Amino acid sequence: MKRRLFLKAGAASFSGAMLGSAGLISWVPRSYAATVQQTFYINEGFVRQPDGVNVYFRGYSSSSNGLSVPGEHMIVQEGDTVRITIVNNLGTSHSFKIDGLVDSGQIRGGSSRTISFTPTKAGSYLYYDSLNAPYNRVTGLHGGFAVMPQGSSNRLYANSPTFKIQKFWIFNEIDPAWNNSVRNRRTPSSAFKPRYFTINGLSGRPPGAPGNGDPAIDSMHDHRSALHGHVGDRTLIRMLNPGMAKHSVHTHANHMEWLTRNGQIRPDIWKKDVVPLDGNKGVTDVIFPFEAPPDAWPRTSVGKYPMHLHDEMTQTAGGGLYMFGAMTDIFFE
Amino acid sequence: MGRRRRSRSTSTTTTTTTTTTSSMGGGGMDGGGGGGGGMGSACYVYPVNNASVPPLVSNPDVVIQRGIDMNIPMTMDDGRTVTMWGFSDTAGGGGMGGGGMGSATFPSAPIRVRQGQICHTRLNVGMMMFHTIHHHGIEPEYRSDGVGHLSWDVNGTYTYQWRPAHAGTYFYHCHTNTVLHAEMGMYGALIVDPPSGPGRAFEGGPSYDLEAIWAVDEIDSSWHRLGWDAGTCGGDVGLNDLNPDYFVISGVDGAQSALTHQAVAVTMSRGQRLLVRYICAGYLPQTIHFGGLTAQVVASDGRPLPRSIQVTQLDAVSAERYDCIIQPTRRGVHTIEIDIKHWVTGAVLGTARTRITVV
Repeated sequence: MKRRLFLKAGAASFSGAMLGSAGLISWVPRSYAATVQQTFYINEGFVRQPDGVNVYFRGYSSSSNGLSVPGEHMIVQEGDTVRITIVNNLGTSHSFKIDGLVDSGQIRGGSSRTISFTPTKAGSYLYYDSLNAPYNRVTGLHGGFAVMPQGSSNRLYANSPTFKIQKFWIFNEIDPAWNNSVRNRRTPSSAFKPRYFTINGLSGRPPGAPGNGDPAIDSMHDHRSALHGHVGDRTLIRMLNPGMAKHSVHTHANHMEWLTRNGQIRPDIWKKDVVPLDGNKGVTDVIFPFEAPPDAWPRTSVGKYPMHLHDEMTQTAGGGLYMFGAMTDIFFE
Repeated sequence: MGRRRRSRSTSTTTTTTTTTTSSMGGGGMDGGGGGGGGMGSACYVYPVNNASVPPLVSNPDVVIQRGIDMNIPMTMDDGRTVTMWGFSDTAGGGGMGGGGMGSATFPSAPIRVRQGQICHTRLNVGMMMFHTIHHHGIEPEYRSDGVGHLSWDVNGTYTYQWRPAHAGTYFYHCHTNTVLHAEMGMYGALIVDPPSGPGRAFEGGPSYDLEAIWAVDEIDSSWHRLGWDAGTCGGDVGLNDLNPDYFVISGVDGAQSALTHQAVAVTMSRGQRLLVRYICAGYLPQTIHFGGLTAQVVASDGRPLPRSIQVTQLDAVSAERYDCIIQPTRRGVHTIEIDIKHWVTGAVLGTARTRITVV
């Protein structure tokens, strides 16, 4: 029987994932299965949008009284035992589900539940609330979950191309009318018409805008989202879409190596400057290779470039404010 | 765009470019400058910082010149006229009004260069506004990437320098208030031929006898009353909500005209090899149906596929490009249909149609 060790996700551990406000930086593989523990608190609150409008959200928070949208990323290893406690601080029922891995079932308002499961397939997953679908999920109850191949620090799946750094890009669109209906425990009656667009819960704040450069507000400088690297710092990006809209994810500076779509390993790896990300829980994995921009003359290995969705309505907030949407920046250092 | 070319009878690809040996050393900026942090009522536009402009080589292989045209009337099949914006081809002084004006088409004139050429794209924005050119899929030095918040927007003249390393299908578009400017039509095809020139999709790749460039786009005519800086300072101008009422192929209304328009529809002989350069130029998801023909997809986004794939239809999202070889063996008329779909529901909002006639 393999030796087991208890790890608490969310804390930098000698042998576990480095999770926290700075995002996932590296992963140290283990030769043994561990038990990974995490507690999520289902909370509610308001988030101020770029145009000053406060919008209601619900989220899986790592602290008893905070609001986190998306919830903190988790990373585990194939064969680990994952034990997650969900504390529902709200008055409505919610759940915690990862398709193909676990479903908590209904957790009534004011109650808690601990679920345990053992993921056996490496890959990128969305955790989310499957109740009142899709409203609870779109209102913020979602987050990223990754399963690393056993013993691997640098592959998405066995024999995949290797990477050095990994990130989650969780995209979402927000229709305040829907969020407000959830707040008032009503089913939204209007067609989904998003007005705000986020990556890892934040939107862009271009130079000159209030909050520009503040990683707590500005998606261009949020270390969970922005790519920083030198040539050769190949970065795995796990793109997840709890939102409703199908997106076009576009990187400048480098083509991406397109590895998977919705959990399926692609037959060939295509090099793309645009990859699709399906709505309603779509998943796309790519590697951004951090190669010297190939068309620069003279050649260069430094510079700053954007990543943005190319369905450009997503680059707005409140019907205008271009560059205050779902985007981040890529820094060749 | 949309122009078909018989490669074997084509000896040059410089119809939209000029070769020059004039010196442009010491920086790409020779005019304009813009206002501090904005111009007019615009917000979050970034004038060129002359001190940071990189030097240019003095002897580029190709110089492409583009101005701005904010008044391109497009008459739709229903008789309505919709105003488009675009880049005018100002090479040789043609169409230049001294202020970056000039007569443009929708889409803008193609840029066609060869792999390995050092290219200068000289943009002249002479009016009280800002624009850029982003060569989509081309990955240059960041100050030649045309992204305002990371370098600058252009008012006056600015030259982008780039040297394409990979043959294939790209496009260029404005990256200032992009959500509006690209929807207004400020884009054109960008084709990088292999060093040997047209006739092959890429070096060592499949040959072709004729070529079609299909840039498929949707138009929300209600956006076409907005000013260039609409929404940049805030306020709800509706740019989150695209409700298209026209669906076009390379600037030709896909309701009816594109079925027969010589810039889009293809007539070819049995056994000939057609290269379709399909550009998803709109914002919404598309599916192209090849009308009963089989297409061999050989490249996407300017990169050869490791193994080509055979398809009868193909999904695409905004800004994807697919290079497809079609070699019909029988006479026939094939209606190509491109469905433009709602980004949330997937419902087909409209269909643009053209035709491949095999004789």
